[in-house]
Amino acid sequence: MARKSHQPHQSQPSQPAPPQQHSSKRPVLQLQELTRVHGSGATEVHALRGINLDVFPGELVAVMGPSGSGKSTLLTIAGGLDSPSSGRVIVEDTDITTVDRKQLAALRRRSIGYVFQDYNLIPALTAAENIALPRELDGTSARKGRVEALAALREMGLEELADRFPDEMSGGQQQRVAIARALVGDRRLVLADEPTGALDSETGESVLALLRTRCDAGAAGILVTHEPRFAAWADRVIFLRDGAVVDQTLRSQADSLLTGQAAEL
Amino acid sequence: MKNWFHSWRAAVRIARRDAWRFKGRSFLVLAMIALPILGVSAADVTLRSSDLSTAESLNRDLGRADARISDPSLAGEPLLQNPTGEQYAPVGDFENKPWPDGPADVKKTIPPGATVLEDTLGSGKLRTTHGLLHTEIRELKASDPMAQGIMRLLDGRFPEKGGEVAATTHFLETSGLRVGSKLTARGLDADYRIVGEYELPSSLGTDQVNALPGAFLAPLDKALKADDLPGTSPTTTRLVSLSGGFTWNMVQEANAKGVTVTSRAVQLNPPADSDVPLYQQDGWGTYEQSTASKTFEMAAMGTIVGLAMLEICLLAGPAFAVGARRSRRQLGLVGANGGDRSHIRAIVLSGGLVIGVASAVVGTVLGVALTFALRPVLEEYNGGRFGGMEIRPLELIGIAALAVLTGLLAAIVPAVTASRQTVLASLTGRRGVRRSSRVLPVLGLIAFALGAAIALYGSTMTDQFAIVAGGSALAELGVVALTPALVGLFGRIGRWMPLSPRLALRDAVRNRGRTAPAVAAVLAAVAGTVAVSTYEASSDAQSRAAYTPELPHGAVSVMLDEGGGRDVPAVRTAVQKNLPTEIRADVDRISVGKPSCSMYGGEDGCGRYEVVVPKANQCPLWMNNGGEDPSEKFSKAERRKLIKDWRCKEGDVYSSVNGGVLIGDAKLLAVLGIKDADAEKALADGRIVSFDKRNIDTNGKIGIRLITDVEAADAAFEKGEDPPGDVKTVAAHQVAGSPNAYGIAMILTPATAEATGLSTVPLGAYYSTGAMPSSAQKQKLDSELDKTGSDVSLHIEGGYVSENSIVLLALTVFAGLVTIGAAGIATGLAQADAEADLKTLAAVGAPARVRRTLSGFQCGVVAVMGVLLGSMAGVLPAIGLRLTQRRSEEDWYREALDEGLSAVDLPHVPIVIPWGTLAALLVAVPLGAAILAALVTRSHRVLGRRAAT
Repeated sequence: MARKSHQPHQSQPSQPAPPQQHSSKRPVLQLQELTRVHGSGATEVHALRGINLDVFPGELVAVMGPSGSGKSTLLTIAGGLDSPSSGRVIVEDTDITTVDRKQLAALRRRSIGYVFQDYNLIPALTAAENIALPRELDGTSARKGRVEALAALREMGLEELADRFPDEMSGGQQQRVAIARALVGDRRLVLADEPTGALDSETGESVLALLRTRCDAGAAGILVTHEPRFAAWADRVIFLRDGAVVDQTLRSQADSLLTGQAAEL
Repeated sequence: MKNWFHSWRAAVRIARRDAWRFKGRSFLVLAMIALPILGVSAADVTLRSSDLSTAESLNRDLGRADARISDPSLAGEPLLQNPTGEQYAPVGDFENKPWPDGPADVKKTIPPGATVLEDTLGSGKLRTTHGLLHTEIRELKASDPMAQGIMRLLDGRFPEKGGEVAATTHFLETSGLRVGSKLTARGLDADYRIVGEYELPSSLGTDQVNALPGAFLAPLDKALKADDLPGTSPTTTRLVSLSGGFTWNMVQEANAKGVTVTSRAVQLNPPADSDVPLYQQDGWGTYEQSTASKTFEMAAMGTIVGLAMLEICLLAGPAFAVGARRSRRQLGLVGANGGDRSHIRAIVLSGGLVIGVASAVVGTVLGVALTFALRPVLEEYNGGRFGGMEIRPLELIGIAALAVLTGLLAAIVPAVTASRQTVLASLTGRRGVRRSSRVLPVLGLIAFALGAAIALYGSTMTDQFAIVAGGSALAELGVVALTPALVGLFGRIGRWMPLSPRLALRDAVRNRGRTAPAVAAVLAAVAGTVAVSTYEASSDAQSRAAYTPELPHGAVSVMLDEGGGRDVPAVRTAVQKNLPTEIRADVDRISVGKPSCSMYGGEDGCGRYEVVVPKANQCPLWMNNGGEDPSEKFSKAERRKLIKDWRCKEGDVYSSVNGGVLIGDAKLLAVLGIKDADAEKALADGRIVSFDKRNIDTNGKIGIRLITDVEAADAAFEKGEDPPGDVKTVAAHQVAGSPNAYGIAMILTPATAEATGLSTVPLGAYYSTGAMPSSAQKQKLDSELDKTGSDVSLHIEGGYVSENSIVLLALTVFAGLVTIGAAGIATGLAQADAEADLKTLAAVGAPARVRRTLSGFQCGVVAVMGVLLGSMAGVLPAIGLRLTQRRSEEDWYREALDEGLSAVDLPHVPIVIPWGTLAALLVAVPLGAAILAALVTRSHRVLGRRAAT
């Protein structure tokens, strides 16, 4: 398959490291016995039930599952946008369930990057300014922020987008800029919620290729998707149903997703 | 600190670009803030520019001279003056000797080596293309270098020969003459040629002509005196140039010789108050505004500025809230990227900052530019040229800061609201009904109760308007704070309404956060309007009730008391020609002395007359006994009783004729509407017809005393004695009943006057009319009377005319506009929220027009709530103020009774609710707002577009 040739792992001789091989490294993100209950009494809904997950540097984890399985809830809690009913979320040694709102915001500026399905960029800011936003909010000067943003864009081959506003970019370009923003500065955790959902398949592939490259360069990523062929870019795939992990597979097995065997696993 | 700066910079950048992206909304808010700023900054520049510096105003008064020496006519007695020379007093005590009167020897006061230029000012009647114009005549060699700066030459040149004059622009405009025209004065057989046009920089509205010294006033004065007419009454001052200037010591030396001096050197460097002997005298001193009145002024200014800012904030606030709501997703993204609450607040606040700064710049720059552009118009309006454009940067920065502050204040509530949203809710677009603050209604209730108590205390216990007004303002603010709670009450009536209004009302009530500011804005504007309207309508009713006609309805009177009545025939004819008159009753007056004497005498060779009231008929309260106040002898109870006595009754109308004595015939009775055959017969029989029985003595006669020696008469009056003078007595007929004679005390025919030995001069005429004269007829008559150049007093009795209808209309329109604006903004806000509901409605099969009707009702709901609450909040303080006024007038009335001052009627202080204004505000404005909102709403949603990938 021609598409496969774009996959960085294709050219690497070794297989991606399974979770246990990371034991020497510290995980960027740890979810421990995570539960989330919405509402109470008759309207009580268990969105997550006792989730455990470690994501290591250089690893891209795909989360799959049907609608309402808790994929997005997992992502919002992992990034501190929502708080769990119980359990712990540890991002780079900080338990984010115990810190206050201000520290949480600071953590999002410095450690966690988000990429949503669409409308990721602030319409009033150019691509470079969008990327520099977390740094500027953190108190970096506009000039330094721009230098960092331009470096990030250059690294991804997107320099020509630097001074364009979101409405002057295509959807694919916007998602690539969003990925660049998610990983600007010292951020090493990218949480992507259906980043290709609003894109055609070819553009989606190229966006995922970029995400893969960033992870290979040392970032940790979680990718929520319901498209098996996008999940195939991941090192691991986790299947959620009714808020619980029903299965997980390594990338080698993930390749089988493309042939539809995953459903049988 | 640095971090704070950088994150604010990012926030400002987002806000700036957003403001640019939503130009319509930004422009609306900008206009709201910038317009008042424009007005205030323009007013500031105008005020500062028209406020001349001492040096500037000295240049306009003295030209290049060092001083102006004036003779205050104190017969050369030594005097003391203040540094400007405007205040002066003769040295010594003049209580027991006559006040000095007469010219000083000015020549002696001029220091040796000084150059002198005479400046003489008189007046005369000059012939214009329309008739005659009373004009200042100024004899000053204006081309002299010393006079430079006093007059500004605009065209031609200043006079160089005796037969030449220059004239002010205003005179040329009024007279219809031009440079090159011939000019003549009434009473003088000489021509002058106008050779130039000039203006007096500090007095653009003055009609003045300039001639060389001795060229105009002296010959005119001589000619007028020869005709036994009042002269030009010239006064001469002297401009003096002296090397070294006029020091304060020199001014005091000149004072010793009986003249005052306006000195440039002294005014530029005024002496200390301790060096000004005048200030050491009792009763003299520099006038300084008391701190109390300054504080009151500042408080009033502060209140006005504060209320205006509150109103703007209430109007602009929802606009920022719309902005924040529309960019909720964007704010969510900032949150997802690590923006905490303070960052979100900063972004929304930056919206206020950006618009505030833009408004500040636009408002002040436009204000200053407009002042520059309109400078000639402003100067004309102001009546004087500016000294120069004076821009005070600090004041303008202060005014601009108000704009920035207003922008920030308006954005505070939306900013706090936006920052309280969770990131997740912002990102997913989930909305919840936000609970309105629980503290605010409590504070509002406290403020309302406190304010109402203060106002109540003010209106029932005191007569202090300030207390009532202050209390009302506080209560008003309380009601504004209570608005969210009050809006909630409206929700209860929703269940009985049809779908669209029910949805609109529920939506408004559930989203109080956005409804309340708009309702409060309407409330504040309407309350102000209703308060002023109620107060004005009540005052108007009071004035209407207190109005006393000077003549029967439709009747006309014309009088002219100057020049010995020689213009009276022309004036009488002019009225008859221009107005639809029926009966014309000519009237004359008694004259004592020369025919040219005016009614109350005073000139040389002029006397006066008085009606002799028999002692028995005089009111004991006012009887002249030459000493203390006669009413002092009576107790309060006696005074109250005496005021009701027939001898002490005062009429409603005072006659403009001395003693109310008119020389006329039976036609005058007809014009006054008095049908009395006996009176007509009495006139024909040579008797006086009297309307005031106090004047008739026991023999049935009226006495008129002719006083020729005015000074002796004044002296006699001081002693409480009868003045010397020949008393003419005439048999009188008292008109039966007490018909309204409109201030006329008695009428006698010319024949009777002549037979009695009373000399008369023409005074004017009374007319009855067939129809009320139209405005065009009045204007035509006015212009014709102007041509006589005389001071004609014309009265056309048209009944009471209300003066403030324009003000009330303007206020109603203002409140209407604010209501529509605020309701429109709130509707925009509601529409931004309502998309999901509308989609649901469409999905269940609601017709497309529901979108229209819903927005119409949303707008109407806000308008109705605001107008209803505002009307209630506005009527109450107005009633409070009127009650205070009633109390104060009643107190005054009681005092007047106790003092025996005058037999006034019990004051009538009605309270009138302006139903017309209220109806317009309560019905027409909400209806208009609703229809407007429905019309501008699209029935179908325009589908959003997305960029192609």
